[in-house]
Amino acid sequence: MMIVFVTVLTYVLYRLAKWLGNKYPILLFHPLIFTPGLIILVVYLSGMSFQEYQEGSVFLTHLLGPATISFAIPVYKHRAFLKKYFLLIVTSVLIGSVVAILSTLGFALLFGLEDMMVISLLPRSITTPLAIEVANEIGGVPALAIVFVIITGILGALMAPSIFKWLNIKSQMAKGLALGMSAHAVGTNRAFEYGEEAVTFSTLAMIFAGVITILLSLTVLPFIVAVI
Amino acid sequence: MKKASRIILQVALIHVFLYAAIGIELIIPVPLPTTIIGLFLLFFSLLFGWIKLEWVEEGGRWLLAELLLFFIPSAVGIIDYEEVFGLQGLGAIVVILLSTAVVLATMGLIVERFGVSES
Repeated sequence: MMIVFVTVLTYVLYRLAKWLGNKYPILLFHPLIFTPGLIILVVYLSGMSFQEYQEGSVFLTHLLGPATISFAIPVYKHRAFLKKYFLLIVTSVLIGSVVAILSTLGFALLFGLEDMMVISLLPRSITTPLAIEVANEIGGVPALAIVFVIITGILGALMAPSIFKWLNIKSQMAKGLALGMSAHAVGTNRAFEYGEEAVTFSTLAMIFAGVITILLSLTVLPFIVAVI
Repeated sequence: MKKASRIILQVALIHVFLYAAIGIELIIPVPLPTTIIGLFLLFFSLLFGWIKLEWVEEGGRWLLAELLLFFIPSAVGIIDYEEVFGLQGLGAIVVILLSTAVVLATMGLIVERFGVSES
């Protein structure tokens, strides 16, 4: 019963956020800001506990698994593209992933953030389902990692046009790879403004950044985290 | 067949890859997350023609289009971490701003300089 209530409540408030976001494209109506905010309010007012809400959410959370697996489909569709640019994509995304992790770590330590915050920040530049995996792997907090991923996507997509202009970055390839690497799905959405090729590069960069960061989290990241 | 039932069937088929990945993990200890194993299984099944793109395309598109919906419960979990709403949270935003700008610039410059587009 709780599962039905939580699923319906979450779905309805999600649709509402999407609808409002389409009408008024402001940050407040982002489905990962507006909807959780309202849910927290409803849970408080209804006297339900957050534990009960989480237990009721198993159906929705479960679908994250098949959704992540579905990233195979766009990669397959762009396989000709991938074959042609494989080395470039893998090399640049590997460099990008290392830069993302190290620069996050450096700035976070510089600003004196707490360990829990620092560790949860590390997977911020990859797509949410994979960031959750990385956060679990290295001892971060998934709920924090999600919020940091969203902020990253929004800020990345916002800054990208000015950075491209300053640095005179013109090709769709460079813009697409930079957007997908730095701002995952939100960046890919921005890539639509630059054209089909930028979108394809951005999609592939986003998925490869996720997989590469996961591989890093299984190998070198635990050593970095141990030093913090 | 109606679109909704097609999507449900295709999402069910994608589940086969999830359970196959769980099965593989039971037999051989692969350190990769289950979903990544599933992702590779689905990719190679498509590549080797074991399954057709049309069998999973619509279901996969729906799952990816509604991806944000599936994170909402995890995002609600933020309620347990009140420090985010203070100075630490503000610091985190500045870190994200600076680091994201660095990543955008590095990636853009490297690819613009060394990548050769053929189109």
